[in-house]
Amino acid sequence: MNFKNIARLVRKDCWLMRWPLAAYILAAVAGLVMTVIGGSVLRSAGITLAFNVLIGVSFHVMLGPVLGERERKTLAFVMSLPVTPRDAAVAKLAAAFTLFLIPATIAATTLVWLSPIDIPAAMAAAHRPLWSHMIGMFSYYALVLGAWLVFFSVVLGAAIISESVGWTIGVLTGVLFVFGNFVMQILPTLHGLRPYLRALARGQAALPVTIACEGAAIAAIVTVILMLQQRKTSFV
Amino acid sequence: MSDCAVQLCGISKTYSHFALGGIDLEVPCGSVLGLIGRNGAGKSTLLRILMGLVRADAGRVSVLGRDMPADERWIKASVGFVSEDMALYGAATLGWHMRLVRDMYVGWDQTRALDLLDRFHLDPDQPVRGLSRGQQVKALLLLAMARHADVLVPDEPTAGLDPLVRHEILTLLAASRSERRAPIFSSHYGDDVATLADNVAFMRDGRLIAHLPVGELLGGGRSLEKVFLEKVSAIECRRAA
Repeated sequence: MNFKNIARLVRKDCWLMRWPLAAYILAAVAGLVMTVIGGSVLRSAGITLAFNVLIGVSFHVMLGPVLGERERKTLAFVMSLPVTPRDAAVAKLAAAFTLFLIPATIAATTLVWLSPIDIPAAMAAAHRPLWSHMIGMFSYYALVLGAWLVFFSVVLGAAIISESVGWTIGVLTGVLFVFGNFVMQILPTLHGLRPYLRALARGQAALPVTIACEGAAIAAIVTVILMLQQRKTSFV
Repeated sequence: MSDCAVQLCGISKTYSHFALGGIDLEVPCGSVLGLIGRNGAGKSTLLRILMGLVRADAGRVSVLGRDMPADERWIKASVGFVSEDMALYGAATLGWHMRLVRDMYVGWDQTRALDLLDRFHLDPDQPVRGLSRGQQVKALLLLAMARHADVLVPDEPTAGLDPLVRHEILTLLAASRSERRAPIFSSHYGDDVATLADNVAFMRDGRLIAHLPVGELLGGGRSLEKVFLEKVSAIECRRAA
């Protein structure tokens, strides 16, 4: 792979998406501020905004840099540059993850405030060293972002492999349904899962195992995307 | 360096609605080949296969002695492909595209780029979405020519352009011809091919039906279009019989 040219293609996509990206970052920051400083109404609005940012940026990345290239006939221009299909696919994945992760990290911070626990007070009461709290916070971020990245990767895979707006919207809608209903509503009520969720909340072994599973799932999805991309025979 | 600019051996590609079959073509360095055919004859598919934008089902593609796709990056760095099916980013300026291409090619010549900008009357600060079709073709040619591509492959570069712009682009391609940089191109216009090419290949329904020197065909006041139509109708008569 030619990493210099891959980096140039990633920069190209980020530059072309700079204004929407700025808008999503602003919205994510606004959601965070509302959640932190507001009362229950503002907090609820902030959390809704954070979810909207995650959904909006997912749609925008799929329809813009991923699916838009072929539709706007710019794919032929990109593929006529000195890059292989694998270079182009890796660049597209890296650009999509970058464009998603910047606002998503801020939105995930908002979702951390969803916790019913007063985090600073709990940290103070725990009498643990700072590094222990830092590891805990980073793990929590990793868990939340990891879950979103798994879903984002599934939708990204659908977009890159199918190159169809219909399929991508269908998969995104399905993912949101699964996440909104199964993961957020049903999973926590299952008796068999309660010990695992308790262990997850306490930062026991379940936490690193879950983060590792998320990482493995993302790696598997990316591998499948690259393998299927390799089998494509048309790049215009 | 190979003696052949372009070599296509046994190229075939099948789609559900169309098949390109058994194409064998050799374009020696220093010679120019024009492809003529109706819409859907397979000219663009053939050039896309040459450029690696479409993978052939079978056959061998070689450019300047290197094989596609094994040496895909090298070939793409050596070939300047311009097609009517290719677009630049509408929201970005031509100057932005020039910087993108400059960073990816070692052969980029800024002096030549500025000269071509001036010659084409293009504004580097204008967003591409504000360019006319003719200006976009000129912009694509600029991006291909300012980096001194060893091989220029224009796919119907004059399609849909007004006569003035068409003339400008033909003049530019004729200049490339004198540098022997444009070994293969496609066109609907026999006059364009007669102006630029040494040899002509006629395509019909995904197959090459003739590959001859242009000079041999133009005797007796005949045009390439007329010769093409004669060849096609001869095939159709044979099939009907």
